Amino acid sequence: MTRAVVDADVLIAGGGLAAQRCCETLRRGGFDGRIVVLCDEPRAPYDRPALSKAVLMGEREVNTLAYREPRWYEEHEIELLLDTAARELDATAHLVELQDGSRVRYGQLLIATGSRPRPLPLFGESERVHELRTAADAQALRDMFASSSGELAVIGAGLIGLEVASAARTLGMTVTVIEAAPTPLARALPPSLGLWIAGLHREHGVDVRLATAVEGVEHGPHDVQMKLSDGSQVTAETVLLAVGTVPATEWLTSSGLGPGAIHVDAGGRTQLPDVYAAGDAACYPGPHPEQRIPTQHWEAAARQGATVARSLLGQEPLPSPPSMFWSDQHGRRIQLVGHSPDRCHVELDGDPAASDFVAWLTHPGLPPAAMLVNRPDALPQARARIAASHPH
Amino acid sequence: MTYVPVIDESACLAHGDCEEIAPEVFRVEDVATVIGTAPDEQLMEVARACPASAIVLVNNESGQQVYP
Repeated sequence: MTRAVVDADVLIAGGGLAAQRCCETLRRGGFDGRIVVLCDEPRAPYDRPALSKAVLMGEREVNTLAYREPRWYEEHEIELLLDTAARELDATAHLVELQDGSRVRYGQLLIATGSRPRPLPLFGESERVHELRTAADAQALRDMFASSSGELAVIGAGLIGLEVASAARTLGMTVTVIEAAPTPLARALPPSLGLWIAGLHREHGVDVRLATAVEGVEHGPHDVQMKLSDGSQVTAETVLLAVGTVPATEWLTSSGLGPGAIHVDAGGRTQLPDVYAAGDAACYPGPHPEQRIPTQHWEAAARQGATVARSLLGQEPLPSPPSMFWSDQHGRRIQLVGHSPDRCHVELDGDPAASDFVAWLTHPGLPPAAMLVNRPDALPQARARIAASHPH
Repeated sequence: MTYVPVIDESACLAHGDCEEIAPEVFRVEDVATVIGTAPDEQLMEVARACPASAIVLVNNESGQQVYP
């Protein structure tokens, strides 16, 4: 153990949105200690939502997605260690060991290592089988779109799968979406709204197979053949695996924090002293006591990164508004505010056939949620109604 | 050019879409700020594109809020 030890006042493991917002809030709050960020990709923090939309469509290049210019990190004295990932945490000694064996001693640690696509071992290793998490993944998928004759199979009808299906269809590809659950986005939306989304995709020529699992996979010289649970077969040149994500916290197993999402308090504190968590790796208390739900979305990561910075600065967390995510599919802006309660009642305002509506999702005793389709103007009111129903 | 954009700072999360679409009108740091102006149709496009619906448009002549 002769490796050099770097000393950081604040060490951030992970180089995504939560890390970026933590750095910005710390510096704006006057924090002048040493900040070191471990970025496991060869690039500075960048905007991921574009990966499944504008990047695939060829409207944006991956090298335009950085949140800040390199100069910004120099000016704010934030040290980004690119291509560097943490391997182990020794919380007693306040040390993080990196994958190259070197170590960083920290005063305070933020765990923001995010999540990774859930693997599907059935598909094995093949250059035709993709997942989508990083800029490199998006570039590889886009290159595959450009070089193939245009058959794509998407496994999983979650947000990523549906957005990629939409982008690929817009590019003129033949797209099949295969989902094991009876409806798309089944964890976030009640069945009737999931089926509305399935209908939107079918209208645009996507072959959507619900309640259907992939049971067998064969790799041919030019394509991948999949045997489905309904007895049918689908053949595609390119396959995207998009069956959800798992928190990237396996490296924390010996510390007792991982694997799985790390539970924290409203200020982002874990059960270990001087260790915080934010973003997809973390699970924050929800606005309602019965709704402690990991929210693996952009807005949560942005808020939680800033929340941890406020804790480090000795400030209280800001009040947290209802959670929100948005998605763009087939030219529709879809927004979900709040957590859709189980077995909820769905109340429609507007015209689903015209893709212009707000759906209120209600259940007695729980805060409501709302899905907005092409109604961004209704968002402020929806947010206010949901916030007003939270216990204070 | 009768619309004036105003940022609802409590809603803005600095997504950056406004600066992406209309860099001559918006600059995004910890929150978005208005630094210029643009034709009404373009401002409406940007306001509708904001994922947080944090851009309020006011008609400069009537004083009425036109979005959201």
